[in-house]
Amino acid sequence: MKLPRIRVSFKLRSIQTIITVSFTLMTILVVVAVSFMLYNKFTKTAEENAYLNIQQIIEQVNYHLELYVKGMQDIYEVVEEQINDTQDISSPVLREQLTTLLHTREDLVSVGLFTPGGKLVLDNPDLEMRKNTMLEEQSWFESAHDQPQKLSFSAPHIQNLYKGQYKWVVSLSRMIKYKDHGISKEGILLVDVNFRTIDELSRKVSLGKRGYAYIIDDLGNIVYHPQQQLIYAGLKYENLEPVFEYAFGSYIDKSTGEPRYITIRTVEPIKWKIVGVAYPDEIVTTKKDLNQFVFWFLLVVCAAVVVLAMFVSAKISQPLRRLEKSVQSVGQGDFNTPIHVSGAHEVVQLSKRFNFMLHRIRQLMDQIIHEQEAKRKSELDVLQSQINPHFLYNTLNSVIRLAEKGKKEEIVATITSLSKFFRISLSKGKNIITLEEELEHVRHYLIIQKIRFKNKFSYAIECEDLALSCRTLKLILQPIVENAIYHGIEKMSDEGLIRISASIQGDRLVIKVSDNGLGMTRQVMDQLLIGGNRSSGSGVGVKNVNERIRLYYGKNYGLSFESELEEGTTVTITLPVEKYDDEQQERGMA
Amino acid sequence: MRRTRAVRMRVYFMLAWTVLLASCGGAAPNLHVLEKPKNVDMIVKMNHGDFWKTVKMGAEVAAKEYNVNLTFKAPQNESDIDEQIRLVDESIKNNADAIILSASDYMRLAQVTDRAAYYKIPVISMDSEVASARITTFVGTNNYEAGQKAAERLIKLTGPESRIGVMNFVRGAKNADEREEGFMDYVARFPGVEVVDIEYCESDEQIARQLTRKMMKEHPDISGIVALNEVASIGTAEEIQELGYGGKVKIITFDSPAKVMELLQEGIVQGTVIQNPFNNGYLAVQYAVQVMEGIEVKEREDTKSRLIDLDNMLRPDNQKLLFPFVK
Repeated sequence: MKLPRIRVSFKLRSIQTIITVSFTLMTILVVVAVSFMLYNKFTKTAEENAYLNIQQIIEQVNYHLELYVKGMQDIYEVVEEQINDTQDISSPVLREQLTTLLHTREDLVSVGLFTPGGKLVLDNPDLEMRKNTMLEEQSWFESAHDQPQKLSFSAPHIQNLYKGQYKWVVSLSRMIKYKDHGISKEGILLVDVNFRTIDELSRKVSLGKRGYAYIIDDLGNIVYHPQQQLIYAGLKYENLEPVFEYAFGSYIDKSTGEPRYITIRTVEPIKWKIVGVAYPDEIVTTKKDLNQFVFWFLLVVCAAVVVLAMFVSAKISQPLRRLEKSVQSVGQGDFNTPIHVSGAHEVVQLSKRFNFMLHRIRQLMDQIIHEQEAKRKSELDVLQSQINPHFLYNTLNSVIRLAEKGKKEEIVATITSLSKFFRISLSKGKNIITLEEELEHVRHYLIIQKIRFKNKFSYAIECEDLALSCRTLKLILQPIVENAIYHGIEKMSDEGLIRISASIQGDRLVIKVSDNGLGMTRQVMDQLLIGGNRSSGSGVGVKNVNERIRLYYGKNYGLSFESELEEGTTVTITLPVEKYDDEQQERGMA
Repeated sequence: MRRTRAVRMRVYFMLAWTVLLASCGGAAPNLHVLEKPKNVDMIVKMNHGDFWKTVKMGAEVAAKEYNVNLTFKAPQNESDIDEQIRLVDESIKNNADAIILSASDYMRLAQVTDRAAYYKIPVISMDSEVASARITTFVGTNNYEAGQKAAERLIKLTGPESRIGVMNFVRGAKNADEREEGFMDYVARFPGVEVVDIEYCESDEQIARQLTRKMMKEHPDISGIVALNEVASIGTAEEIQELGYGGKVKIITFDSPAKVMELLQEGIVQGTVIQNPFNNGYLAVQYAVQVMEGIEVKEREDTKSRLIDLDNMLRPDNQKLLFPFVK
């Protein structure tokens, strides 16, 4: 669900990337290290177990063989004892005893007693001898001859003495004494034991799929090997040298190219050695399995870690990114959108602080605006207050002039108007007055000016009755009229006319001041409200009026001009329609 | 950006993995041992007799060693060629991974051998060959040489002026033909030696006996007989003993069934040419594995033949060859 966002926000040095990468790397490193260690431990243990197992198997075979060989020895002794106990070797009692003995043991093939010259004295079972047996050349006969006291075990060989089957046997032989008709004689006693038991014992050894066991005698001849024929044919090779040196132990043999695990045990009574051969690569198939398992395990873990890391990092960095976005929008001037406060503690704190800071900034900004406004207002008030002395000075000058000329009536009219003019100007310090009062005020101004300018112009004031009681800012008409007189009419040759009309149009109070004076160019008109140069004092007045209106009523209200050269100018003042009452007046003051 | 990252991660991962593997020390794979067991069918001439049992033993040893599922098949009789063809067909149908064939008939088994090759089943020829160019390799005795060995010994026994008989087994079997050819070629060097009779006993002991009796009846002056396989050897030698010619008619046989060994010790048989059936079985399977693994093999593997007589029969290395453990 988060993935699309994650994709978008993947920047190389972003917190998310850093967290993901470091998190992933760290986890993988740990997992790899742990799996590596476990893997080594496992394989080592598995290997050790496998080797131990092999050793135990060989040990067991060895044990069985020893037991078996001892059993054979015992039987040999029993046979020998029976012969010793008999006075006459050809007695039927002995024959019967031997037959019984032979029947008790399945693996006893035959018993034979031979003279040292190789002549048969006694045999059991009673079988026909073969021709061409060459028994004097056979190893059991020779070793009995050479070491008369020692019971010798032959290597497995073919029993070729009696007719019937050719059997693989191990021959036990020794020089013994027997009595023939009371006469003590020396003879060689041969007991042939079927080799099958030994063969089976060794054959059953399974050391992995390909492993096997073989037996060598104390001279290093191979007694038993599952692949003896291959060895004779040169297709197989056993490195017997080290085997011959060891009596007990295990080692890795590499003489055949492939490493083989060799375990040696000695069958004590006859000094045969059992050699177990196992293939380590086979023993440790677990290694391969483990290998595969670890591979997939790591793959899955890594995938999981990457996904998890991406998710976690996205989760962690999300509030930070949100904060960043908010800060960005603040940077672009939007101080009003509050910042989301959620996520980690640090981020929450940061957001809170930032919000607080924003709040402070907003407060300060408001404060500055207020201060600026107040400053402006006071400045305007100062300007406004400057108007009066100037006008008074001019008017008094005209009165002096009239007095010199002795125009009494005009002086009276002027002084009366002046007094009314100032009364309305003062108007108890109120800033907002009725339109009626404002019109009255401008009328007195016009009366004074008309006298001053010697009737150079006439004027007319028209007002809807309804509009009379509307509220208006004080002293907004006088500067405009003053402007009309000084700029529109004063330099005109004909008589001027100033018309003031007020009407309610919808929710607006529209007051028009028009003159038929010189008019002005568009450039001048455009300059009027900007008030680039203050040198022509009256321009300031018009601008002042406009600014005051806007300050009080907003940007939708104010002055507009229409003018045509030589035709005249019309100034339109637009104000909101507000009926006059005292409370409202108070608000206007604020 | 993501891709480079992914690549970088993969590289790291692979690096870590290599280190891991390297430190574990994977054993070099042994090319000869099959990772997964494969099915190899061994089809021989006959389902009894020591010779074939020993072949089977050798094959089983190799099968165990190389991880092969071995199926051993054979007709009841060596002369039942149709059955052998059917057995090969069956192996093709069962989609064996390789077939080891000991063809009872050089020509008649050729077609089915080609068919096996068509289905991409490698055929290894063992003991006796088959007339197919699709044979991957041959494992067996050099039968021509074996025939010559037999002739050499027989003529030494009978002398350069003698009349001799041949007891062959199946006409058309490649090894039978080759042995006979080897024998005849050697005999041809001695103008005084005459081969008076060549018989085919179809690898049947009773027929061999009958043919021997007939041979002796027709040619009482025969001083030597060669019997060219196991069954022929038993039949011939026993019949000669029974007829009372034992020792007078020199006999050279092939292979080493217990009966023949007995007769060898008795002096009825003077020598026997033995092959190495164990090795035949073993090597055939080994080569089958190599072929399946795409390793090049020799065109022929000569598992040596040996002449056994009373003097050397008890030598330890010969004992193993002459008297296998047959259960």
